[in-house]
Amino acid sequence: MAMSVEEVEAAIIEKAKKAPKPQLYIKDFYKCAPDMKPRQIKKIANKLVEKGELMFWSSGSTTMYARPDRIKDEEGAEGIN
Amino acid sequence: MAKHDTPMLDELEKGPWPSFVTDMKRQAETHPECWDILGQLELSYEDRITHWKHGGIVGVFGYGGGIVGRYSDVPDRFPGVEHFHTVRVNQPAGLYYSTENLRALMDLWDKYGSGMTNMHGSTGDMILLGTRTENLEPLFWDLTHDLGQDLGGSGSNLRTPSCCLGESRCEWACYDTQDICYALTMHYQDEIHRPAFPYKFKFKFSGCANDCVAAIARSDFAVIGTWKDDIQIDQAAVKEYVAGNYPANGGAHKDGDWGPFNLKKEVIDLCPTQCMWMEGDELKIDNSECNRCMHCINVMPRALRPGKEKGATICIGAKAPILDGAQFATMIIPFIEVSKDNEYENIIDVIERIWDWWMEVGKNRERVGETMQRVGLPTFLSVMEVEPIPQHVKEPRSNPYVFWKEEEVPGGFERDIVEFRKRHAA
Repeated sequence: MAMSVEEVEAAIIEKAKKAPKPQLYIKDFYKCAPDMKPRQIKKIANKLVEKGELMFWSSGSTTMYARPDRIKDEEGAEGIN
Repeated sequence: MAKHDTPMLDELEKGPWPSFVTDMKRQAETHPECWDILGQLELSYEDRITHWKHGGIVGVFGYGGGIVGRYSDVPDRFPGVEHFHTVRVNQPAGLYYSTENLRALMDLWDKYGSGMTNMHGSTGDMILLGTRTENLEPLFWDLTHDLGQDLGGSGSNLRTPSCCLGESRCEWACYDTQDICYALTMHYQDEIHRPAFPYKFKFKFSGCANDCVAAIARSDFAVIGTWKDDIQIDQAAVKEYVAGNYPANGGAHKDGDWGPFNLKKEVIDLCPTQCMWMEGDELKIDNSECNRCMHCINVMPRALRPGKEKGATICIGAKAPILDGAQFATMIIPFIEVSKDNEYENIIDVIERIWDWWMEVGKNRERVGETMQRVGLPTFLSVMEVEPIPQHVKEPRSNPYVFWKEEEVPGGFERDIVEFRKRHAA
């Protein structure tokens, strides 16, 4: 049975909490909902940014996702890489 | 009064050419932080290493692009560039500005930033260089609310689409580049402002094969105007060119000492497919051999024009050198109609077919052109549901192995893979 949006959101948050590195590529979230199309997962991840559960982290050329608390814990409040 | 000694940078002010060092010293008179850019750059020349750090979490709320974080790694020595973020502003289609708009933008940037700009970035954005994190939200508010402009793309987003000036000034435009550029910019707002892909993705729209925005060299998805039928010839105008009554190249080289116009030497002999010849005083073209290079049309614009059945060629996968070196885009769809009547539905369909595949198959930080190279053109064509044609072939194959799918062979074939693997382990 296909996962609900809420279930996918929970799986993405869990992944972002437990991944070895705080910054994740959008592809890293695909396995959270194997039956869902990547563009749908991207939309859910971006909604989580709006809700404050995730934040964008940019290397300048690539944009990644991270849990705000992990970025602050591991990089300092400025998030400087 | 210079804040730092910059003997090496001062060398770059010598000579007859314009100097960015002189420009920055002038800018430092009103924005003292510009002294610190020069000081840090001088230090980089001494140390032979950059002192910029980039990346981090800077941006405006809800956007995952448009701002590129920049920090100094020696902020104690150069506090003016402790934060020196770059802001990308989405340019108007065809780069048409009013002076009023440019003045308003510069006033905004004087207020919130260093006043330094880079016009334009590779995607056409106006690049505003150097501001602090706390200025980003107020700048964004004024930009969007007072000027009605928006940020462009950065990171793994759809980058700001760009186009040539198209039908607004150019008689050769085969479709309305500005309209499609604007329409797709609005259609894909989410993809421009928030990360969506394994890596960056660029659209560029050129109205003809002169390709004034260099779409074929710089964009993942190049839409280049072309025509299906024959080049239109005005034989009376051809005679006028031959007689020297019309200036060749629209008069662009009239001050050069090139002698009288020589149609054979300057047009026929330079045709890359040798598809032109004279019969008496009439110019003939074998249009089936024409590869739309535009040379003859450029030289004799009053005699030759693109055909009447216009559209575009779609080329995919250009990129600058990061992994495998620079590459041009590959022609995938030789002709597609470009019409605002269907809101560019057919173009959107092609774009989303690429995205759906690339988002799954592309590796992190892999441009679509690199993914195409990795899987091979036949696989990519099959994904795009495009029938291979001779124009897809660059050269005779050097790989002697030919793999057939069952449906490609008349009568098909049967193979029990389990039985096969018993004898040949994978």
